[in-house]
Amino acid sequence: MSDNLYVLGVIVAMALVTFALRALPFVAGQWLQQHPLVHRLGQFLPLAIMTLLLVSSTLGAMTDDPDSPWPELMAVLLVAVVQWFSKNALLSILLGTGAYVLLRNFF
Amino acid sequence: MIRAWLAGRDFSALALTAPVAMGYIPLGAVFGFLFVQAGGDWWLAICASLLVYAGAAQYMMIPLLAAGMSTASIALATLIINSRHVFYGLSLLNRLPASRWQRWYVIFGLTDETYSLITTLPPGTNERNMLLVTQLNHGWCVLGTALGALIGAQAKIALVGLDFALVALFCVLTVEQWRTRKSATPLWIALLAFAIAWPLSARHAMVISIALSVLAVVFLELLRKRSSGAPA
Repeated sequence: MSDNLYVLGVIVAMALVTFALRALPFVAGQWLQQHPLVHRLGQFLPLAIMTLLLVSSTLGAMTDDPDSPWPELMAVLLVAVVQWFSKNALLSILLGTGAYVLLRNFF
Repeated sequence: MIRAWLAGRDFSALALTAPVAMGYIPLGAVFGFLFVQAGGDWWLAICASLLVYAGAAQYMMIPLLAAGMSTASIALATLIINSRHVFYGLSLLNRLPASRWQRWYVIFGLTDETYSLITTLPPGTNERNMLLVTQLNHGWCVLGTALGALIGAQAKIALVGLDFALVALFCVLTVEQWRTRKSATPLWIALLAFAIAWPLSARHAMVISIALSVLAVVFLELLRKRSSGAPA
């Protein structure tokens, strides 16, 4: 993270990729609308990718924690339950992170 | 003066983006904070929100940058994570502002939240409001990032586990995707793909398992076609 040129290069690359994706339908809308595989991927990928991000980031947190896996599992469960019933992302994130910080530092 | 401003026609766009501000300012702040805590410069965090402007991909970039992953791999991961954005434009093809730079700016700013707001605007909404909604949302995100980055640059935090906010964010997004799911298959395939990828390479498990998931969709689609007997 200390090499600013590298970070800037990554930011520009990510910006170009993101913009290209958002602009694609305005350039190739007809083709995309007709291709069933594109639709299938569009329905499939969001849940699959979020699941993968959740699993890999949870495992990442576990590798830094000598008391794993219970603090991570309990905090993830808390976030999931609060979010399911409250539908309030900020509340879920604050409660889950707060609980996790408490577990890691004071227990 | 405030009263005059509230009476102006900008109020509707401002009111419309208020819930987004409630989400974008703290989420931007968490991004800025974690970016700086991971060793990045504060102005680069702001650049990221200004130029990339894509929530989940921005959060993903922090651990990848910290791990020194190649620019090409991070670009590929961004392509995959943001691939859903391809579908947003489809429902807006005939609705965007006609003026060229306004049109491209709204396309640039089509995040999940801006997309949801723009698609809920009544048909025939003037183009200025559409542009304003996009600008305000972009502004909330950059403002949050700046706040978080400046706090992060000052803070010497001794508490372990604050970066759990990212795990929590992904958990929230997974729950929301699950709530609106058409089928549970993506979750099971993703878990299976990860179980295969993790022993192969813990470091690249994410990219490998996304590739496996995409292959699985292609394979299922081929099977479906064959069984239905439809021409390819």
